[in-house]
Amino acid sequence: MSLQSDSSVNFTPTEFIAVVNQTLEYAYSSVTIVGEVASFKVNQGKWVFFDLKDEESSISCFMSLWSLRTPLEDGMKVAVTGLPKLTKWGKFSLTVQSVRPVGEGSLKKAYELLKKKLTEEGLFDVSKKRSLPSDLSKLGVISSTGAAGYADFIKIINARWGGLEIKVAHTQVQGADAPDQIIRALEYFNQHGDVQVIAILRGGGSADDLSAFNDEKLVRTIAASKIPVITGIGHEVDESLADLAADVRASTPSNAAEMLTKDREEEKIRLLKTMNRTKQIVLQEVEKARSLNRDKVERMSKSIIAKYINPMLEQNQEKMRKCLELIIEKHSNLEQLIKQKIKLLEVLNPEKILEQGYAILSGKISPGNVVKITTFNNEIEAIVKSITERRKNE
Amino acid sequence: MSDQKLSLNQKIEELDKKVEWFYSDDFRLEQATDKYQDAVKLAKEVEKDLSELKNEIEVLSEDFSK
Repeated sequence: MSLQSDSSVNFTPTEFIAVVNQTLEYAYSSVTIVGEVASFKVNQGKWVFFDLKDEESSISCFMSLWSLRTPLEDGMKVAVTGLPKLTKWGKFSLTVQSVRPVGEGSLKKAYELLKKKLTEEGLFDVSKKRSLPSDLSKLGVISSTGAAGYADFIKIINARWGGLEIKVAHTQVQGADAPDQIIRALEYFNQHGDVQVIAILRGGGSADDLSAFNDEKLVRTIAASKIPVITGIGHEVDESLADLAADVRASTPSNAAEMLTKDREEEKIRLLKTMNRTKQIVLQEVEKARSLNRDKVERMSKSIIAKYINPMLEQNQEKMRKCLELIIEKHSNLEQLIKQKIKLLEVLNPEKILEQGYAILSGKISPGNVVKITTFNNEIEAIVKSITERRKNE
Repeated sequence: MSDQKLSLNQKIEELDKKVEWFYSDDFRLEQATDKYQDAVKLAKEVEKDLSELKNEIEVLSEDFSK
């Protein structure tokens, strides 16, 4: 740079470009320009060039392919953030820091392009999906702690289950910075490894609000997470590429809470039913055992009766029969004896003797004494006149 | 069984295992009463946990904006 006599400053081209760039940097350290993409091309697989234009003007844009987080196509409306710069060839250009689609049409186009690309890479393959752990006790959450979706999630999960350790990474969930913050939180959980699942949560919003979840780098980080990821982003109808890359997609943050946990009230009912069923099993088995023992006892009784009692009874019956026969025989003899005795008694009956004409003499038989003579029909008193011995000589 | 270190899910898993025994070929009536009482004790513990346990929520101090 040299000073002239008329006080003007002479620059070399390099100096002038440097001054202009300093001025631009001072005035527009970072500028965002919305326009339509034209002449999009990638050189050497590393550098991206396109023009950003409207009806009247056009600005050349340059960026590294690594910085491009969304697919671009000519005709897409985008918001480009970058530094205005004059190149050493004197050409004005925007060194782009970030590009994001703007407007429903562009957002949809970018979404479809990236979905196709990542699907072809196999990033969304169902075979890669992991199940949520059934024994969840440590959970990582990535969300904005001030967001309604986060509050819904916490409310539902607290109502449904207890005893969980929940670590929350507070991040933005919309806007240009959101993808990088969520990526850092994902990396944090993956590095620390002390959670079983990571839940990425955000409530409903416009397509533009939710576009952070279609960021290519974020989608790739979700797909590469060592820890299973569940997403609960937006509403039922909203589908983001983050949802497709996650292991499990919940339709909303509340739904994520429901998918992660059982319901404690339902679990109590299940517990009660299980224990009642178990009690019934024990009671049934006890009854079965009792019945089995009853049968055993019955069988044993029959066996004992058949083996011991019946022969004994048969033996006794025989004895009893013999005994009876003996009794009968004895009885028969006795009867005869009695009959004989009766006959004898009949013969000896005094009445019978009197009937035959005999008489009974009673009283002292001596001469002069009165004696009584009993016949069959009469009783006679008589005086003894004399006594003569009849069988003196026998 | 009533190990304080077991999480609620682990206790439920343990209880399910105990209950499975009653349906298995290992079932012995002689052991059933003890096993049942054991299961009932754990079931009561689980029920208490289900009613009382709260979640611990920690918002990390890390700044993810940088």
